[in-house]
This record gives sequence, C-alpha cells and structure tokens, in this order.
Amino acid sequence: MSTRSFLAAAACLGLLGLAITVQSQTPLADSHDRSILHGAAVEYLFPEQVTVSAGKPSPVALHFRIAPGFHINSHTPKEDYLIPTSLSIPETSGVALKDAIYPDGTDFTLPLDPTTKLSVYTGEFAIRARIVAPRGNHLVEASLHYQACDKNACMPPKTITVPIDVIGN
Amino acid sequence: MKRNSIVLSIVLLLLAAFAWAGWANWEYRKQAAEKRLASAAKAELVADGAGAGDIPHFVSPLMSHPAPDFTLEDLSGKKVSLASYRGKAVLINFWATWCGPCKIETPWLVELRNQYASKGFEILGVSLDDLDTDDKKMLAQEKRDIAKFVAQEHMQYPVLIDGGSIDKPYGGLDALPTSYFVDRTGKVVATQLGLTSKDDIEGNIHKALGE
Repeated sequence: MSTRSFLAAAACLGLLGLAITVQSQTPLADSHDRSILHGAAVEYLFPEQVTVSAGKPSPVALHFRIAPGFHINSHTPKEDYLIPTSLSIPETSGVALKDAIYPDGTDFTLPLDPTTKLSVYTGEFAIRARIVAPRGNHLVEASLHYQACDKNACMPPKTITVPIDVIGN
Repeated sequence: MKRNSIVLSIVLLLLAAFAWAGWANWEYRKQAAEKRLASAAKAELVADGAGAGDIPHFVSPLMSHPAPDFTLEDLSGKKVSLASYRGKAVLINFWATWCGPCKIETPWLVELRNQYASKGFEILGVSLDDLDTDDKKMLAQEKRDIAKFVAQEHMQYPVLIDGGSIDKPYGGLDALPTSYFVDRTGKVVATQLGLTSKDDIEGNIHKALGE
C-alpha cells in the first residue's frame, strides 16, 4: 500500500471517529419525540422574521398549530375558571405589543358533559398582533400562554416562547 | 519507506481506537437514554398513534407500592398528612380549578364519598392550582378561587393545596384528573388518569376497601 493510500485511509478513519464522537455528545433522551402530553401541545409555526415600519403600529399574523386531539381555551373562554390563551411581549424586548386580535373560539363539548359548551381553538390558528418596533433589528421572544386539554384530561397551563426577528425600517 | 509504514500503521491503529471509543461511548449513551425513557414512560401518559383523542393507558410505577407520604395544608392552613389516614381506604384525587374534566368528575366523587364513608373510605382532593407564595395578595386570591370551586362543587372532603410540591413522587402529574386509590395498609391498588366513569371510580373504591 502506498503512503498516499495510508494517509487517505487514516483521514477517513479520523473523520469517522470525529463524527461518532460528536454524535455521542447528543443524548438520545434530549432529541427523542416524547409523548405530547409531556411537552407542548401548541407549536409556533411562523413568521420567523418580519419587517415593519419603525415607530408605527404594524400588523403581524402569528400562526400556531395545536397537536391533533387537543384543544386550548380561546382568548375568551365561556367560564371564568378556565385559563384564556394570551400573547405577550416582554417590555425589555424593545418591541411593544400594541394590541392583538384573537380568533373566535369554536364551540366544543366534552362527551360526558354535552350541556356545557366550551370556546376553544383546535388545529391551526392565527393571532393578529399589532406591534411597534424602533429602527433596527430586534430578536423578540414573545410568549403564548395557554392551557390544553383533550376530551378526558387537561395538561397544566403552559407558556411557550414565540421567537420573532423584527426588523424596523 | 519501512519506517514510514510503521509510523502510519501506528497512526491508523490510534485512529481506529479513537473511532471505536467514540462508537462505544455513543452506544452506551443510547442505551442509558433508552433506559431512562422506558422508566419515565411508566409514569406518564403515552399517547397512542398520532393524536390524543383518547386518554390512553396509564401505567404507574406506584402500583402495588406504598403511596408516597405527604403533608399538605388545607384551605384553613391546617396540616393534613396521608399517614394520618392509615387504616382507611383513601382516594387521592389530583385536580385543579382550570380542569374541565375534573369539574365533571367531582360530583361523582362527592356522591361516592358519602356512599362509602361509613365503610372507612375518604377522599383527599389535592389541588394543583399554582400558588404565588411570594405574593400574599395573589396567594389570598388564589386560595379564594380554590375555595369558591370547592363550595360550588360541595366538596365536603379534605381539600389540600400546593399539590405541585408533591408531583414528583406521584409521577409528575402531567395531566388531570389523576387519582390514586390507596388501601387500608397504605398501598396503591389502582390508578386512574383522565375522566373515565363513575362506575370505574366505584370499582376502584371497592379495591381500596378490599371488597
């Protein structure tokens, strides 16, 4: 075998070892798709980036998806003990949430209580927010607070991060 | 030339050892992670298929084991411990004011408690509503909200608060309602997760009573 072949084989083995070692740094438990009940029932879809007029209230539609089989209370649940879905933007982000228009909830009844109508979101929904951003690039971590259930059980209230790159021109 | 071959062979051997070590490390981590997942899955809901339209089976590692003891306060501030109910059949029912299915289940519990209390059966309703212990005003409001629910639902059995502080020994309590049925010796004899039926609950009460 020539010196060149040895070197090529050595390089390949080296890269293989490196790749395996890098992979070994990612424990399976962190990347495994655990039961949805253990995680978030709501996923933020888009947009990742928006460009708005600096200093002016600008509309941004934020899209979310609820896991199949689950529902979350709308922004205006029919019972005062239920937790409404709400969007917020931290004041420290530099971007202000002027207001937000939430979609109307759809009526939903639990099979064992057909007389009580709930106002819920299912599937995909969008919140139409108006934001005010100063000139510049702002990585905003908005929050969506919600409480999810399926027809038999409820998960504790949860807040997910809604990351948006806001560019004020 | 011969010297070069020896050096390159040593380098190759070292790299092979490096690759083997990486692979072995990855395998070890994979097996450890799978063990952790298998262990955790026993204590949580496992959604069958793509959706979760039905609350699926609930397998608790506490089955046939002593129910973890706890001491919590009721709404009046009185401390209540599970151990003080030894000798009785106890249903530990985890619920929250924001839980619609819990609201459906509660009247059944009230009826069943009245029906079986004379046989030595008791319910401990443990609220998982969040409590802002750092904010006295907020805490008072949260207690009032729980008390309002308790009054509306005529929950005449002990209702304990701050259930979140005991969620770990009870499997994380990822969904409500969750119930543990404990027999007179303090052993968990049945568990229920999610809304089932009054008959199911009654059947498990019989188990707890040893009937």
